[in-house]
Amino acid sequence: MSNRILEVECISKRFGGLQAVSPFSFHMDKGEILGLLGPNGAGKTTAFNMIAGALRTDTGAIRFNGRDIVGEKPWDICRLGIARTFQLSKPFGGLSVVENVMVGAFVRTASEAEARAEAEKVVDFLGLSAKACTDAEDLTAFDRRKLELGRALATGPRLLLMDEVVAGATPTEAQEMVALVRRVRDLGVSILIVEHVMKVIMGLSDRVIVLDYGKLIADGPPQQVVNQPDVLKAYFGERYVHARA
Amino acid sequence: MDALTLSFAVINGLLLGGIYGGVALGLSLIFGVMRVINFAHGSFLMLAMYCSYLLWASLGVHPYVSILVTVPFLFAVGYVVQSVVISPLIRRERALVVEPTSALLLTAGVYLVVDNSVLMAFGPDVRSVTTDITYESIFVAGLPINMARLIGFAAAILVAFALSFWLKHSDMGRAIRATAQNRDAAAMSGINVPLIYNVTFGLGCAVLGLFGALLVPFFSITPTIGLSFGIKSFLVVVLGGIGSIPGSILGGLLLGVFESVAAQFVTATSAAIFSFGLFIVILLMRPAGLMGRA
Amino acid sequence: MRVSFTLILGLPLLVAALILPFVVADNYVVHSAAMVLYFAYMASSWNFVCGYVGQVSLGHAAFSGIAGYASVLLFTGLGLSPWIGMILGGILAAAISVPVGYATFRLKGPYFTLTSIAFAEILRIWLENTDAFLGIPLKGAQGLTVPPVGGTSFVAFQFDGKLPYYFIILAMLVGVMAATRLMERSRLGFYLKAIRGNRDGSEALGIDPTRYCLTALALSAFLTGLGGAYYAQLFRYINPERNMGIDLSIDMAVMTIVGGQGTILGPTLGALVLHPVGEVVRATLGGHVLGLHLILYGVVLMLAVLYFPKGIIAPLQRWLAPAPKAPAPVVKPKEVEGR
Repeated sequence: MSNRILEVECISKRFGGLQAVSPFSFHMDKGEILGLLGPNGAGKTTAFNMIAGALRTDTGAIRFNGRDIVGEKPWDICRLGIARTFQLSKPFGGLSVVENVMVGAFVRTASEAEARAEAEKVVDFLGLSAKACTDAEDLTAFDRRKLELGRALATGPRLLLMDEVVAGATPTEAQEMVALVRRVRDLGVSILIVEHVMKVIMGLSDRVIVLDYGKLIADGPPQQVVNQPDVLKAYFGERYVHARA
Repeated sequence: MDALTLSFAVINGLLLGGIYGGVALGLSLIFGVMRVINFAHGSFLMLAMYCSYLLWASLGVHPYVSILVTVPFLFAVGYVVQSVVISPLIRRERALVVEPTSALLLTAGVYLVVDNSVLMAFGPDVRSVTTDITYESIFVAGLPINMARLIGFAAAILVAFALSFWLKHSDMGRAIRATAQNRDAAAMSGINVPLIYNVTFGLGCAVLGLFGALLVPFFSITPTIGLSFGIKSFLVVVLGGIGSIPGSILGGLLLGVFESVAAQFVTATSAAIFSFGLFIVILLMRPAGLMGRA
Repeated sequence: MRVSFTLILGLPLLVAALILPFVVADNYVVHSAAMVLYFAYMASSWNFVCGYVGQVSLGHAAFSGIAGYASVLLFTGLGLSPWIGMILGGILAAAISVPVGYATFRLKGPYFTLTSIAFAEILRIWLENTDAFLGIPLKGAQGLTVPPVGGTSFVAFQFDGKLPYYFIILAMLVGVMAATRLMERSRLGFYLKAIRGNRDGSEALGIDPTRYCLTALALSAFLTGLGGAYYAQLFRYINPERNMGIDLSIDMAVMTIVGGQGTILGPTLGALVLHPVGEVVRATLGGHVLGLHLILYGVVLMLAVLYFPKGIIAPLQRWLAPAPKAPAPVVKPKEVEGR
């Protein structure tokens, strides 16, 4: 059994005349936190959606634990063990926090009691126990993010895809989320994380890859990657220039 | 089936189809601007028909003259329904998620009220208007063409052109198009969006005022005619592309010819079944296209 | 929380329903009450899928008609007991609902609604204009009558007096509520609510929306079919307009929406409020004011959409079981103990 949990080979996506993602490849090891970086419009979310099955790649292959998952439906991919969170967290209205998480837990069991037990564990893990019975729509934005993570965790994933986890969070909240993501990894879950906030991804990732205009321009440990000229140009270029001026 | 019968069927289909297109114009306009599917669309047409009929039956007013009354009356009805019934929903939705099903249910409520009020007032009897024009025909290449239908057809084409022109070139028309594209941006540019909605809805219904009066000379009137015309209008706009004015006429022509030719081969009932079938097939074939505009 | 509320409101209603025919032993009253229960049952069946997924079907009457006709034809043609015919009819309705739903559940909002109308109308128009199909006499718009067997026969679903019919529909209503409650607490119920709340999000959590919507629709069609067959037996008569016309679909939808979609008692509350009002209007103003009750339905529907989108059950719930915020910490330790 290889140590590769995810192998992405030459996936690409074209929307009409726009090449959103040029063919690119990367891989992930088990237990790794991989950061996917790139400026706005770099194709991060598109790449993300292709792995999660929400979009179908035009070319190439995506192998999860050695099995090609291209063309599988999102729900089947979730059953295989890949969970995802969305950039905009929309809780299921009319259901409480614990019930929202139960929706995720039902992937592995048809029993309400088992799903509830599993969901309570997850809610506890998130530190949301005090709000377990609150209607999910009454949560603060940050708690909704945690709930989003909790729903995904309840599906029992081996690989977790996280889109912009700290967007709009205060620094304290961001720290809390970073700690939470580390604890998720400690559960043995590999994590692919798309993030805008440099500080977060630098401190969190074992390795980062950088997309720019749909092309992969760097792959390596965070500190090394941020010093590559290509990355500096693509990602920080304007800001650097701006800061010096 | 000989060529003469077939060409007669096609011509009749085109005439009636043009009228279907004209009737559907308002539905398409209202959806294009407000994203509201007006379930009561046919009910308003029925209301216009009864209005025209009443004027004829009580005062002897010729249906074509009654247009002077039906058009402003229907404009007022549309304006009031929008400003009193539908606008509270839109005001609520500005903050929340747009929920088109609520709008449909709301107008379904209007449909229940209008149809049954008319049923209560007039009973289920079939009524018809006989005028000088009812049986008048002209002959083109040996084929009889009913005058009343021809006038209705011409009016549909004319109204479609006039409406397009007005939307393109008048200030109000431009404001309506701006609102259709982006409500919030329009509001920020100083356009009175609630007023635009009221006018659009009124206008969509005023067109029905015209066609109600034009239909009366050759179409019997019952309280249930609204729903059947309403469903036909849904079919027409779905065929032609919802929100598009030329599409509405084109969809009408297609449906008219389809119905009329189909009726040569099968009974009118089966033709109605085919129309519904067509409706379903088209909605299923291009849901993405429809959603894309919705 | 929800459960206790359902019981607080539901139990007194059930007790009242049980003693009503003994307090007022008038045939007309019992019949009218049975009609209220019938509409409550039909609305509850509609709610089973539409109320939970949040898609408005205005074609559900077709399922009522399919099963109604099936049960009557099996009885008149093969002498099969209407009880069995009812079940078979319900299964037929469910079987037909699956391909129809497979096609239409891809559509959203108004498009789904309009397509559902088109399906039901095709069926109704065809039935109204077909005297016989494959040798089966359907008698078009005229409809079919159920020949009386004379006196009371449980097997033939025919009884003297209205009382048995009243208790049958009451049992059916309790049954559909129990089914709804089971569904609500099961994976299916959670999934339907998730699909309603956020379709993309639900797909990412391992839910195939089409599959679960179809499951619920098939169950709903089956339940609606049982109601249609009951109606045919109650009146010993069935025709396309009354048993599968759009008015019936609208009644089911309006009662559920007014009462409260996606709740166990909502549809029944809606029927309880709307049907008697319609009846009273008809009774006091006489039969010549056609359609007045429907005007009323229209007005109530508009008011509900605008001001009570969660139905009249929502304020009742706040009043009878003021739950949400306060008991949250109280409930939690109890649940932990249970584990």
